[in-house]
This record gives sequence, structure tokens and C-alpha cells, in this order.
Amino acid sequence: MSLADPFALCLFAIIALSLLGLPIGHAMIAGSIVYLYLAGLDMGTAAEQLLNGMYTSYILLAVPLFILSAEIMNTGSMTERLLRFCNTLVGRFRGGLALVNVVQSIIFAGMSGSAIADAAGVGKMMQKMMTHGGRYPASFAAALTAATAVIGPIIPPSIPVVLYALVSDASIGYLFLGGMVPGLLMGLLQMVLVVWRARRRNFPVEDPVPLRQIPGITIRAFPALMMPVVLLGGIYSGFTTPTEAAAIAAAYAFLISALLYRTVTFRSTYQTLLSSARTTASIGMLIAGALVFNYVVTVENIPRTLSAFLQGFDLTPTMFLIIVNILLLVLGCLLEGTTIILIVIPVLIPTAQALGVDLVHFGIVCVVNIMIGLITPPYGLLLFIMTNIGQVSLRALVRDILPFLYAMLASLALITFFPDLVLFLPRMLGYQG
Amino acid sequence: MPLARIGQFLYRRAENVLAILLVVMFLAFMAQIIFRYFLNFPIGWTSELTVITWLWLVLWGAAFVLREDEEIRFDLIYGAVGPGVRRVMTIVFSVVLLVIYLFSYPAVLDYVTFMKVQATAYMKIRFDLLFSIYLFFAAAVIVRYAWLLWGAIRGRDRRRRDPEQAGSGL
Repeated sequence: MSLADPFALCLFAIIALSLLGLPIGHAMIAGSIVYLYLAGLDMGTAAEQLLNGMYTSYILLAVPLFILSAEIMNTGSMTERLLRFCNTLVGRFRGGLALVNVVQSIIFAGMSGSAIADAAGVGKMMQKMMTHGGRYPASFAAALTAATAVIGPIIPPSIPVVLYALVSDASIGYLFLGGMVPGLLMGLLQMVLVVWRARRRNFPVEDPVPLRQIPGITIRAFPALMMPVVLLGGIYSGFTTPTEAAAIAAAYAFLISALLYRTVTFRSTYQTLLSSARTTASIGMLIAGALVFNYVVTVENIPRTLSAFLQGFDLTPTMFLIIVNILLLVLGCLLEGTTIILIVIPVLIPTAQALGVDLVHFGIVCVVNIMIGLITPPYGLLLFIMTNIGQVSLRALVRDILPFLYAMLASLALITFFPDLVLFLPRMLGYQG
Repeated sequence: MPLARIGQFLYRRAENVLAILLVVMFLAFMAQIIFRYFLNFPIGWTSELTVITWLWLVLWGAAFVLREDEEIRFDLIYGAVGPGVRRVMTIVFSVVLLVIYLFSYPAVLDYVTFMKVQATAYMKIRFDLLFSIYLFFAAAVIVRYAWLLWGAIRGRDRRRRDPEQAGSGL
């Protein structure tokens, strides 16, 4: 590859434009047009790839629907009821509210596929509750909220998993199942950490909920708690495709907040729709750019070339996964995760396949990496959100998040070295990998 | 200033369209599920409608609704530098983008108009009409970046990003 090579120039243009601050979607489209021109191809191919790619990627429709259902779940009294329910479960222990934070994130993870939506929605409420009257230091509350939000897209449903399914052709259904155990494992480790810190820092205890109130609180939260059953039940019974299940989840969330919790007004519905549509357009632009650029990458045969190159090193699957982990963690400190899934991971997939790494296992390892990237400085979206919500400095937030980061890295190591942690559930339900 | 008010009015209508596209997508899914599973009568036009709304939603939104601070970009440098440097960066990337999009516009126009030879399978919508959104999108991007360029030259710095509005679905 010489410096005047069209692909080298295309790559240079994309990187340079992105570093200058042009939105990454546009940088990829523009860079790819440069490639098409220099390679003597029709520049209209950029539009062709973008339009046809978007038009034929039916699976991507799950993205706006998951965004919509996360937005609906994250508004109003649904969240309140769920938090009250979590409080009855774990509030009475030392560091009760901190434990509530972990438990709610596990429950929300089963309903929403977006960590960002969870942090900005239910996370914001948790932050308020935890810092109310100085119960917890603001930086600890913000760190915990960021760390627990990470679980959201690891336990199904999950937007990053949908994107991975798009680039890998692995089954969404099995990928969703594969994330279940790793997500719960991370939640468990976080709870252990909270219990340990709660003792050392003498965190407050919540008033125990009287026994006779528990059935009422549970019943009030029940319809919301059934959401994962509706969603995942639809997929695994074969009743609906994952995309349709996402639509049903959104409908269910809307119906229970409208009919049971009566919190829906025309105005709030419009705001929810608009905000979901905006997020969809924003992430969709990145997908659109990636579709064009990935065409260039395919024409240039980059993934195969890399695969052949790496095979020269006699890598074992484990060594390969370790390299991938390091690469993704470093990139996660610098880049937005969607970009990594759409651009970097497709290049690695042929090598993973050639080495016999299971694509469901590989996908979950990648997604966990990407999610960890949301809380690693300097560029971590969850860090930015929580410094804003919690009004804490990035430095204080990072200091308090470190123990949680280590716990997540430990979980990542476990699922990297023990593929069965990921694959056990999918195999139980018929996965042949 | 009436011009600004007209702009506001049009922006609200563009938002309305964006929200309606999402509603149509959602309702088409509902229709599809009800017809296929409850009435045992699979219909094809719904899945076609859902992908059409998806395509239009993204390009319409990116063209007319998304604000600068909602787009996903590499902020590490762009957000950290001073307003003067950011202005220069804005000028450079706007010029490059304008040149590339303007230069390739005829080829894009060619492709989209050529697609009139095909129509969708169920609703028989001609692909040149369906894909025409890209022409609007590219034109809107060109106007937008010309505007950004003009602003940057005249010394306007762009607003900082509100992290809670992060347009990422992760």
C-alpha cells in the first residue's frame, strides 16, 4: 500500500476529517467518495451503497424500536414503581440505595438496550435519590450509576448487539442469550463491591419496608417487570422475529404507561417520539457512513488480507482474543463505541472465524469491551453524562469508578477465557456453535 | 425578525415529519404482527413500508432536524481546543466536505434518476422517488456546511455539546 494508493488516501481523509471534528458519518461518506474517484469508479456508488444498504438491512429496524421502548420505559412513574420494588428487595441492607442502583440496572437491562438512555433516565433519578440530604458522596453515586448502566446492553435487549449482528451475520436471538450470564456476573460483582465499600465507608441503610406493603408494591411494579418476558418470550418461542419483538416491546411499554400507570399525555408522547427519532437519525448517519466505507473495505479485500497476515503468526484463539481485548479497550478510550462496532469489528471477524472463535462468543466479548469503553477516560460517554447529571468533576468521578472498572475487566477476562459462560445458555436452547 | 420565525416554523414542521415517520414505522410493524400472527394473513407491504420509513427517517433527520451538537463526532480534540482553533478546524472540514459533496453531486443525481427503471415489490413505488431523499439530504448538507463555513469565517464559535443529548444508541 503506497501513500498514493486510493485506499490509503481514503483512510487518511476519513481520519483527518474526523480528527478535525466533522461528524464521523460524513467523514466516512466523504472519504469513500475520494476513494471511488481515485480508483476510477463511479462516485454515485457511494449513494448506491448507502441507499441499498439501508433499504435491505431489515435487522437494523430493531435499533429505532429499542431506542423508543427505552425512552418510554425511562419516563415517568414506571421508573418510580420499579425503584420502589427494588428498594423492598435490597434497601434494608447497608448501602441499601447503592444496591438498589445495581438491582434496578439489572431489571432495566432486561427492558432497554441502551446504557446511555438508562443513565439519562433512571440513572438521573438514582443520582438524585442517592445524593438527597447528603446520603452518599455525589462522585460515588455518579460512578456507581455509570458503572451499573454499563450492564444495560449486555443483558438483552441490546442495541450494540443488533449492530454486531448486522456486521457478523450471527443470530440475534443467540447473541441475546449469550449476554445474559455475563451481564448477571457483572451485576453480581458490582453488588459484592458495593457491600464491601458500604461497610468501609459506613453507607446508610434505608427504612425497611413493612411486610404488608410488599405485595402491593410488587403488584404495582408487576406489569413493568413482565416486559422482559414479553420481549424475550416472543423471540425464543419463535412467535416473532427479534425486530418484531422490539416493536411489541415498545407497544407494551406504551400500553402499560398509558393504561395502567396513566402517565401519558399527547405532549409527552410526542416528545418521546421525537427524541427517539433524533437519536435514531444520529446513529443512523453513522450506520449509513459505515455502509459506504465498508463497501470500500470489501472492495479492497482488507479483512481477508488481515486474516491471512495474522495467520502467519500462528495465533491461538485465546491469544487472538487477548489482542482484540487490548485493541478494543484502547480504542474504547478514544472512540465512540458504535464506530468501533461498525468499522473495526468487521475487519476482525474473518480472522476470528479462521481461528475457530465462535461468533456469538466473539460478539459478546466485543460488546462487553465496547461497553467498558463507555466509562474509560478520556472519551467515555457515560462519564460525560454522569459528570453533567451529578455535577461532579471528571477527576472525582474517575477515581470512584476505578474499582468498578477493575471488576468489569475481571468479568471480561472471565468471559474471554471461559467461552462456556457465554455459550452455555444459547447451547441449552439449541445453538449449534 | 420574520425570517427567523419562518425558519423556526419550518424547523418545527420538519420535526413533525420526523416523529410521524417513526409512528408510521411503528404502526406498520403492529399491522404486520397482527395480520401475520393473529389473522394468519401475511402481508408484504408492511415490511416494505418499515424499511422505507427507516431510510427516510435517518436521511430526513440528518438533513433537516439534527443539530450540530447531536451528531456523533470525535470530540476529543474538537471539544478541547479554544474557539479560535475550532473555527479554523470548522473552516477546513467544511471546505473539504463542500468540495467532495458538490463534486460528486452529478454522479449521485445520475444514480438516483437511473433507478426509475425499478419499483418496489409490493407497493410499486419507483426507486428514483424512494431514493430521492438522498438528493435532498446531500443538498441540505451542502447548504448546512456552507452556512457553517460562513459562520466560522465571520467568527462564530459553535455551542459546546450537551452530553445528556448524546445521540448514541449505546
